[in-house]
Amino acid sequence: MIEKKLIEKVIDKALSKGADFAEVFVEDTYNSRINFYDSKTKQNIVGKDFGAGVRIFYGTTAIYAYTNDLNEKSLLTAADAVSKAAKGKSIIQPIDLTKIEFENIHPIQIPNNTVAKSDKIDFIRKINKASRNYNKLISQVDINLIEKIQKVLIANSEGLWAEDSRTYSRVSVRSIASDGKEKQTGTEGPGGHAGYEFFNRLDPLTLGEHTAQIAVTMLKADYAPSGKFPVVIDNGFGGVIFHEACGHSLETTSVAKGASIFTGKLGKQIANPIVTAIDDGTIPNEWGSENIDDEGMPTKRTVLIENGILKSYMADKMGSIKTGYERTGSGRRQSYKFAPASRMTNTFITPGKSKLEDLIASVEYGIYAKKMGGGSVMPGTGNFNFAVGEGYIIRNGKIAEPVRGATLIGNGAEALMKISMVADNLAMAQGMCGSVSGSVPTNVGQPAIKIDEIIVGGRK
Amino acid sequence: MYEKEFKFIFDYAKNKADDIEILLFANNSFSVRINKQEIESFNYADAKGIGVRVIKDGKVGYSYTEQLEEATFKNIVNEALENAKYTEDNDIVILENHPAIDTKLEVYSEALDKVDVIEKIQFSKDLEKFALEADKRVFNVPYALMGNGTSYSKIANSKGLDKEEKYNNAYAYVLSLTQEKDDKRDGLEFVIGRDFSKFDAKKMAEKSVEKSTALLGGEPIESGSYAIVFNNEMMATMLATFSGIFSAKAVQEGKSLLKGKLHKTIANNNVTIIDDALHPNGLASRSFDSEGYPSQTNILIENGTLKTFLQNTQTARKDGVKSTGNGSRTYKNTLTIAHSNFFLKPGTCKQEELLMQHDKTIEIVALQGMHSGANTISGDFSLSGEGFLFEKGIRKHSLKQFTVSGNILKLLQDVEMIADNFKFNMSSIGAASVLVKELAISG
Repeated sequence: MIEKKLIEKVIDKALSKGADFAEVFVEDTYNSRINFYDSKTKQNIVGKDFGAGVRIFYGTTAIYAYTNDLNEKSLLTAADAVSKAAKGKSIIQPIDLTKIEFENIHPIQIPNNTVAKSDKIDFIRKINKASRNYNKLISQVDINLIEKIQKVLIANSEGLWAEDSRTYSRVSVRSIASDGKEKQTGTEGPGGHAGYEFFNRLDPLTLGEHTAQIAVTMLKADYAPSGKFPVVIDNGFGGVIFHEACGHSLETTSVAKGASIFTGKLGKQIANPIVTAIDDGTIPNEWGSENIDDEGMPTKRTVLIENGILKSYMADKMGSIKTGYERTGSGRRQSYKFAPASRMTNTFITPGKSKLEDLIASVEYGIYAKKMGGGSVMPGTGNFNFAVGEGYIIRNGKIAEPVRGATLIGNGAEALMKISMVADNLAMAQGMCGSVSGSVPTNVGQPAIKIDEIIVGGRK
Repeated sequence: MYEKEFKFIFDYAKNKADDIEILLFANNSFSVRINKQEIESFNYADAKGIGVRVIKDGKVGYSYTEQLEEATFKNIVNEALENAKYTEDNDIVILENHPAIDTKLEVYSEALDKVDVIEKIQFSKDLEKFALEADKRVFNVPYALMGNGTSYSKIANSKGLDKEEKYNNAYAYVLSLTQEKDDKRDGLEFVIGRDFSKFDAKKMAEKSVEKSTALLGGEPIESGSYAIVFNNEMMATMLATFSGIFSAKAVQEGKSLLKGKLHKTIANNNVTIIDDALHPNGLASRSFDSEGYPSQTNILIENGTLKTFLQNTQTARKDGVKSTGNGSRTYKNTLTIAHSNFFLKPGTCKQEELLMQHDKTIEIVALQGMHSGANTISGDFSLSGEGFLFEKGIRKHSLKQFTVSGNILKLLQDVEMIADNFKFNMSSIGAASVLVKELAISG
């Protein structure tokens, strides 16, 4: 993408005022999005994201500049801007950049930009048809097919030179059911760090029908009750609870500031002993996986919580400098427009021994959250909230009528202690996670879990 | 600026596309964040990109690039033409040369672009310092930052339209965390504007701490139905969450609960909601929208009656009306609709009066979960809130986290009073405090 000699010059320039570390991140990305609704291809756009970011450290100060002009003059101007922002005492000799080799654990079989647009639209049409055929109440199906091929180059003053290409394929489907008065939605958004073969393996019929079924069920549902109840949260996207309520607080970005509820808790019991949680960026072709992170470090499998004991945080390079914990290959960013920060990859609670039925059977009256919606958390307090996308009442150990409009609210630290049962049905689901370094693809995951008591905000 | 680039694209597309629109956006920005009186991060950005919208045989195609080179310009024209082949939209898109607005908008401050970096760093340091000094219960100030940016947008089309505008703003943000026993709360204060000399670090810091400490030691609230006052910032948050329902695109696609409600009474008669891209104090004020259409003032709800939706030229043609100048797109995206300065018209009474109307009133001062607990299609919301219990106008105590649930249309119908303490938020959405007859609270 760019000559080695120029990168070396930029790094030298960036270091010129005594910085401890300098890094260049170059990106050339193909983006494509097809948007389909009203049973028609409404909008489609392709484009090229292109630019470079220069980052330097003086102690714990990070300085970042980016530009779209990858010519010598602009890059050196960016490097000059960062070098002027502060002064340090380090003297770092120019170093030879050496290309690191790593195994590509996310092979791409069919590059997305080689597939005819008409094939992609045919695939979308099948989903649309399946949803609309499922039930007459389906009034709209909104489908987005998103493809991205991101080529990155990362070089730094420690001699690192790493290049990688990352391909992402995702289809998001939103079926809307309407009875003329009200509307409810059902969504799915499967994706992978994979090429077009990912879509070939999906069943458009199931995808369409499943989203339609959720929308229709929720349309017929009554409002959820309010109060404190035991809640069984099923697998897959249910993992958003851990992601939001705990995962973010285990990123060194918040730990280093002392702004995390888990600061200083390493080696301590922070969850019920039944809980083990992992962040693993190495799972082949998973949505949140990468060969190397955006600081050029190979991704890892990190045990965050083992039998309820906090084992590790997720650290990027600056997080590691600030906290002293080893880097975990967690430095991620949306694009060259962001400096990297510690982020999750594929984060999940490991399977237990119980069956989903056992969890349900143990509840006299409570909520079964079959599918979760999105949520958010304040890292300083650990208070979280998230919506139940598809919910049911549990009555006398059995799944009863559907309920809608439920929100689960609570505190991450408390909720972790209240997880009393973990099922054996681990599954992952895909999401885009937004934080200081932008929006990055992450997997959430878990088997079904039971939380003994949580506040449910409903309307009854 | 960028005449050469635009000319190259126009020339290249001339015999290929029936019509073409070129949109350029360039931005220079700066931000600094302080932690423990040290610079934690310091960012510069110099970014730009060009997007094209082509019309071929009545169909629309899009493409964009951030690499401003001739070879890439050829690519994007060809890719946009290829994309147009597959577009099945029946909506007719016609590019036009739109007139300019009559007034001159003050959207750029030269003085702001000249504020010294040292001054900005000091301001951010002060934010943190004053917050830490304000109260001994402050245990952390995780965010103390400020930033500013200057943007330039240029739009031209093959019908002769050629407009450009430069605008800038600055913002600052402080988040303070306080603790009393086991209870931790946060308080956020922000400012956004074009006059940096009016930014007051001490006032902001103290306000953020006050917001946080006031909530400490909260007591649980019994679940039930309560009269609710949303303070000005939270009323703006509610409006922001549901602002998309006014989009004609959302209405046409069946994604808005306002479908079929035009010219009907949908809110109490004290409710007037306006979108004003010409607002003198609005940071979203522009002379033209993303299609080059001249900006205007649009009354969306007037005394409770829904008057218009927000339109771009494409949705307007479909509805048989004129664009409202709310066409929105970045070079990376396809055309949609967005609000500009979007606000609930303030009333004349004081916030204290709102809190005196009922025996018990909950004032909501913080909300979370807008992107998960609010259904913009049904209007239902169930959000996590923080606030205070008032009895006959007297503040009794702060509350433990609770949820507030309801429906946005019901809320607008139940607006009993609107205060005069108007404020725009960071996204140019504005409101004063509002008293709502009742909403469901669960604690």
